[in-house]
Amino acid sequence: MLDSLQASLAIATSGLEAQSTRMRIVSENLANANATGRAPGSDPYQRKTVTFDGEMDRAAGAQLVKIKDVGVDHTPFRVEYDPGHPAADKTGYVKLPNVNMMIEMADMREVNRSYEANLQVVKQVRSMVGMTIDLLRGA
Amino acid sequence: MGPLYLFELASSQARWLELRQSTIAANVANANTPGFKARDVEPFNKILDAAPVRLALTSPAHIQLSAVDSDTRATTKKDSWDVVHSGNSVSLEQEMTKGGEVNRDYSMNAAIVRSFHRMLLSGVKV
Repeated sequence: MLDSLQASLAIATSGLEAQSTRMRIVSENLANANATGRAPGSDPYQRKTVTFDGEMDRAAGAQLVKIKDVGVDHTPFRVEYDPGHPAADKTGYVKLPNVNMMIEMADMREVNRSYEANLQVVKQVRSMVGMTIDLLRGA
Repeated sequence: MGPLYLFELASSQARWLELRQSTIAANVANANTPGFKARDVEPFNKILDAAPVRLALTSPAHIQLSAVDSDTRATTKKDSWDVVHSGNSVSLEQEMTKGGEVNRDYSMNAAIVRSFHRMLLSGVKV
């Protein structure tokens, strides 16, 4: 079993990793916000979602966090009337991705906040370790 | 007046603070995990006051388990500032406040240990 402070660092690092994966998914969604299909009537890019799960690391005695699943959003696609578009179906409608910019932006802010909180924990643990080492130095 | 085990007391408080820091880290890391319940450790004075059943040491090879190691465990706390729709009861603001508190207490603990050490040294160096 790890020392409590080392376990704290491992936990905070797992949090940083999970949040950065989430950020990657957000940027993937934003980059593909207008990616339509190629063939007439085909489906466009489908929004991806990410879910977290707590994971007990028994060797370290720590409650880590991990990515449980990267799934897809099943909300219906937006449609737009654009007969000249290569992906338009027979009636002239084009399916656009079900990515909502506002939702992605809100998600991005939350990722930012959580990442910052994890980083703050790392800083605090570092200062605690520093204080312990200073005991040896100052005596 | 009975003997005061200053270093014993200080080191068990340090261990308690480290454990609290690690539960805070777990709460913060799981701040977006659905259904995760925020946790905290028992207050330090409660651990000191409780007289737990200790294992008797009959041989020097036996390992001493201190009160902190056997009694400090994460408990589900009921005074969380907010619970979101997914059932997650971690409030980042609250965790940050607690983290600052732990840091401050740890710094005080280190300062006290240093002054104990100076006391001992001043006795030795006469």
